[in-house]
Amino acid sequence: MSEIKVLVVDDESDFVELFIKRFTRRGFSVLGAGGGAEALTLLKGVAVDVVVLDVKMPGMDGLETLKEIKKRHPTVQVILLTGHGSVKSGIEGMSYGAYDYVLKPFSLDDLVERIQSAYHRRALVGGGSGA
Amino acid sequence: MPDGGGLLGPSGPLAARSPVWPLLLGLAALAAATAGPWPGLILALAAGFVLWWASRRSAGALRRAREESCELSEQLIQSQKMAALGELAAGIAHEINNPLGIITQEAELLGLALEPVEAAQRDGSPLAAAFLAELRDGIGEIMRQVNRCSDITHKMLNFARKVAPVCQPSDVNRLVEDMVALVEREATKQDTRIVRMYGELPRVTTDPPLLRQVVLNLLNNAMQALERGGMIFVTTRAAEDGQIAIEVRDTGPGIPAAHLDKIFNPFFTTKAPGMGTGLGLAISQRIVVGLGGTLTAQSLPDAGAAFVIRLPATCGGEGERRHGAADQGTGH
Repeated sequence: MSEIKVLVVDDESDFVELFIKRFTRRGFSVLGAGGGAEALTLLKGVAVDVVVLDVKMPGMDGLETLKEIKKRHPTVQVILLTGHGSVKSGIEGMSYGAYDYVLKPFSLDDLVERIQSAYHRRALVGGGSGA
Repeated sequence: MPDGGGLLGPSGPLAARSPVWPLLLGLAALAAATAGPWPGLILALAAGFVLWWASRRSAGALRRAREESCELSEQLIQSQKMAALGELAAGIAHEINNPLGIITQEAELLGLALEPVEAAQRDGSPLAAAFLAELRDGIGEIMRQVNRCSDITHKMLNFARKVAPVCQPSDVNRLVEDMVALVEREATKQDTRIVRMYGELPRVTTDPPLLRQVVLNLLNNAMQALERGGMIFVTTRAAEDGQIAIEVRDTGPGIPAAHLDKIFNPFFTTKAPGMGTGLGLAISQRIVVGLGGTLTAQSLPDAGAAFVIRLPATCGGEGERRHGAADQGTGH
């Protein structure tokens, strides 16, 4: 299996750095972005399998970013991550095509598994970072 | 003889006209002529009785057949109706989305055009300040209402979109628990307790994000039914033939009998205008049917409502699965 390419998007740079460190150690190839607009620019140039996206961000928020990602890259899988989960944002997120909705704090092993099954789905729908 | 046999059963009205009857009557007459009146009378009575019984039976069979064909054509009409509604909804949603996009852009442009007036306000013009406040307010309202419209068109498109499941092996108990955990925070705030009754489930293949959407929707509905607090029971269990069942039951006021057969209709809602589009359950049912399962509702007076999702061991049809990539989550 080739390396799973993950993009983590969060406005807290400490979180992004830590995430990259921890998940790179787990064998993923991880990129970081500090906001929705930056994430979309990155996605134009780099093939990514799974985006881990914070819901609450200043400027373009997680749901807006999700909509744009799904419009431009329908096979890329998005896992929404949130510290302030709300039922409303959960319903919206799922209906806009998010793969999963995970509450912070998360356990590393748990999120690793979720990223792997999101990647599995990406492979099933005919996408793949090789493309 | 299965189902009453060939003479009287399935051929219905024909049975009464079958050549057996003249024969029997003839035999009765013959018996009356040859063996005296009594055995003949008995035979005639017996023949009459058989005739009466046969006609009753065939009338019943006819009625049953009619009911069955009614039910079938009702189902057919229902599914055709849903398909037509889906097309209509998608058509309207697409048409409305374009002007909504233009309205949004114009409102944003208006906001930009206000910048010189803002400069005048900074220079101390009270007229500019009042004018600005009113305009900003108006633009804000336009944006809010546009968002409301796009929420509706998004749901209409979601309803109209063909459900194309992508099947993955899934731990359904975990999936359900994720959604329960998400809802629980808000439930606690409104004095609602969620009781988990998870059973041992076989592994199934299903579409996890689609199922999450349905479970979350049902939990959200249950919460809305419990405005004054109560309990939500979430049960999962293995069912026959490797199927699984997920039940969300609340202790709310329940669903009036007159509404029970309408709640899955698109746009049917009992919520106040602006509070719900009436598409949540319609979408949920479409998704579950697309996964190869069923979504049903039960309600007893004063005993709350229960929604049951039944899913097969493996989801969807092969054909639908192959089209997953093209249709899946295109972000409308």
